[in-house]
Amino acid sequence: MSRSGDFGEFVSGFLVEAEEHLRSANGNLLAVDDAARKGEVNPRAVRELFRSLHTIKGLAAMVGVEPIVDLAHGMEAVLRTADRAGGRLSPAAVEQLIRGSEAIEQRVRALADQKPVPAAPPLLLQALVELEPSESPSGVPPRAPIELDPELLAKLTASEHAQLTGGLGQGKRAVRVDFIPSAARAAEGISITTVRERVSALAEIVKILPVSAPRTEETPGGLRFTLLLLTTDSDEAIAAAVTTTRAAIQPLTTTPPEAAAPPGPPREAWLGELDGEDPKRGGVVRVSVGRLDDAMEKLSALIVTRSRLARAVAALAAEGVDVRALRQIAYDHGRQVKELRGAILKLRMISVRELLEPIPLLVRGLRASTGKSVRVEIDAGRGELDKAVAERIFPAIVHLIRNAIDHGIEPPEERRRKGKPEEGLVTITCFERSNTQLELCVADDGGGIDREAVARRAGREIPRSDAALLELLSLPGLSTRDQATKTSGRGLGMDIVKRLTEELGGELLLRSSPPKGAGTELTLRIPLTVTVVDAFTFECGAQAFVVPVAMVEEIVEVDFEAVVKSPMPLAGGFQVSLMERRGEAVPLIGLHSLFALPEGGATSTKALVVRRNGEPFAFVVDRMSGQQEIVVRPLSDPLVKVPGVPGVTDLGDGKPTLVLDLVALSGTLSGKRVEASA
Amino acid sequence: MSALYVRFKVAGAAYVLAAADVLQMESFTGATHVPGTPSYVAGLVQIRGRVVPVVDLRARFGLPAVEPSLDTRVVVIQQGERVVGLLVDSAREVVSIAPGAFHPPPDVVTEQAAGFVKAVAQAGGRLVMLIDCDRVIGEGKLHVK
Repeated sequence: MSRSGDFGEFVSGFLVEAEEHLRSANGNLLAVDDAARKGEVNPRAVRELFRSLHTIKGLAAMVGVEPIVDLAHGMEAVLRTADRAGGRLSPAAVEQLIRGSEAIEQRVRALADQKPVPAAPPLLLQALVELEPSESPSGVPPRAPIELDPELLAKLTASEHAQLTGGLGQGKRAVRVDFIPSAARAAEGISITTVRERVSALAEIVKILPVSAPRTEETPGGLRFTLLLLTTDSDEAIAAAVTTTRAAIQPLTTTPPEAAAPPGPPREAWLGELDGEDPKRGGVVRVSVGRLDDAMEKLSALIVTRSRLARAVAALAAEGVDVRALRQIAYDHGRQVKELRGAILKLRMISVRELLEPIPLLVRGLRASTGKSVRVEIDAGRGELDKAVAERIFPAIVHLIRNAIDHGIEPPEERRRKGKPEEGLVTITCFERSNTQLELCVADDGGGIDREAVARRAGREIPRSDAALLELLSLPGLSTRDQATKTSGRGLGMDIVKRLTEELGGELLLRSSPPKGAGTELTLRIPLTVTVVDAFTFECGAQAFVVPVAMVEEIVEVDFEAVVKSPMPLAGGFQVSLMERRGEAVPLIGLHSLFALPEGGATSTKALVVRRNGEPFAFVVDRMSGQQEIVVRPLSDPLVKVPGVPGVTDLGDGKPTLVLDLVALSGTLSGKRVEASA
Repeated sequence: MSALYVRFKVAGAAYVLAAADVLQMESFTGATHVPGTPSYVAGLVQIRGRVVPVVDLRARFGLPAVEPSLDTRVVVIQQGERVVGLLVDSAREVVSIAPGAFHPPPDVVTEQAAGFVKAVAQAGGRLVMLIDCDRVIGEGKLHVK
């Protein structure tokens, strides 16, 4: 299959939507589970769940991920049956649905990681089928056969085939229509996503198959989508929805089925809702983080323009021009730019409530795997976090909750002995500590941490303070020593939690056995926003540095044979060489000599080329070591506020690594040159 | 009422800082040097997730440098919004000193620590010098001769 740009975007679109529907499915699964355990029914949650799975199935079919289609289909069937029974589901059925949801999640993740998507577990599919009463009319004679390219036909699953023939039996027409994406169409806002939305209002979409095609005028993207539909609407309406002509609609049957066939059970009224607008979507726009970053970058340019404006005003004033009116405008403009920046930052925020949505499901799983009775209370407050922070901190939160249940909460019999309620309690609370920091606390009412055991295992003195205890717990590898984690309290992965938190510039705090003689409390203090950039890492004089990728025009091999010394040394006797690059003389600056670092030994031949005001500068470094996403933490203390070093990052070793602004650094050099020539 | 002070040593001399200003004391395993900073800025360290600039008090006082040892400590202090580490030869005890025990520094001290000493006092029978934090971490080049 061709992975053309259009298709790649298509898959990322799928991932975003699938994630959203899975989130909603998991919420409803929990509600259904809760009802099933109490022997109650929750028909609304069953329907919502069906909705989500139905959408996931359709989306997965569009990207051709059959395992997800199969799973969603199996689950859908169970839910349809449950709905007919007024929403009644047995705990066993809920169990299988939860497994199904997990299996779908794993496959979505695999797709996101560009790994092969494993087939649907056959045992799970089997279990789902067995939950379904065999009410399908097995005696019904086969209906009009589906006529389709053998190639396309082979891509239909048995269930889709059945869906098509079943639809024919209900008096619907099965048709095929192709949609050809192109840049021109995309510019008009017509994409497979919009087409799918429009078509779904008119027809039941059985399958959308992406088909690669030669790049011709007809299929400029080298890709077309074949939609297989069941509809009672007219060909014209469908053609209009797909933005094609009526002639493009091909029936999938040569002889239309007898219209006299019984219309079958009418589609459940609520199924109709599926075709309508999703009420929850009202007023919400999904935007990729990349676009927001792009907007932010444009804004940075605006800020630069703003300071130029201020300088121009100052220059006018210096000439004796009355600039009072202009100053007021510049002032307003500055304020508005600042407000715009705030507004864009706000777009990147997601609520903590939303971030913590998957937690109850996690707790449910832990309840099952540990055999402990525990409930979770979440008070997410009104806190919001930058998406980048949320994504980075979530694994740490999961670790803390897992620890609380695995090691904090005692087994039921022990709790009974201690006179505690049998059901343990994990509370998660969150509040904004200041307008730059958020505090998230995970507390349990378990037995607390056995300091002696931790000290023994770490081979250290018994910690006297909570901070010292946390330090011991955060020793890398403490938990991997043996299986004794159960007796020693927590420690599992605490080094990871600490690292995740500190990389964000946050702080991890511990309070063990708070007053009432029970429980443990771990608090994460995290910044609301961070700056994440893609950066090159490199070494110079045995020190590691990073530089944002966006700043570097090129990484070049330096041919020292072709380097000439500049006749004019810069201020401070700093010598600059010149290198020829595509007919241009590029100043070559050794980062060693600029930073007075020890020479690296071997002659380095790599240089990073940046451009400042159109002028190129090449910085020679010892060794390029890689490329990664980093969290930039600005340096603000006057002691270390120097041009060219706007911030630091933690590359995972717990030490600050300098983030260099090579453009600003070259600026300081130009300054020197001016001084030198003056 | 006497107050608590953290006592530390730099080149054999004993100094104190109000314990209320000290956030923590950490052992020192090296700092990330920031090019272009004054020579007395040892660099940056990361302490409990916070990136802290470290002032080398030996360098700040114009004393010869020594290799860091197991006793070397970073005394992390808070001054208003700023959090800064002070690199000292050793730091162990907290001592209690009555406010009345402090006297203006004699000239000989002023000379040695170049105006970074606010006052001196006797604590436990030994002379200690109270550091002027604002000056130590200020960027201003107050200097000697």
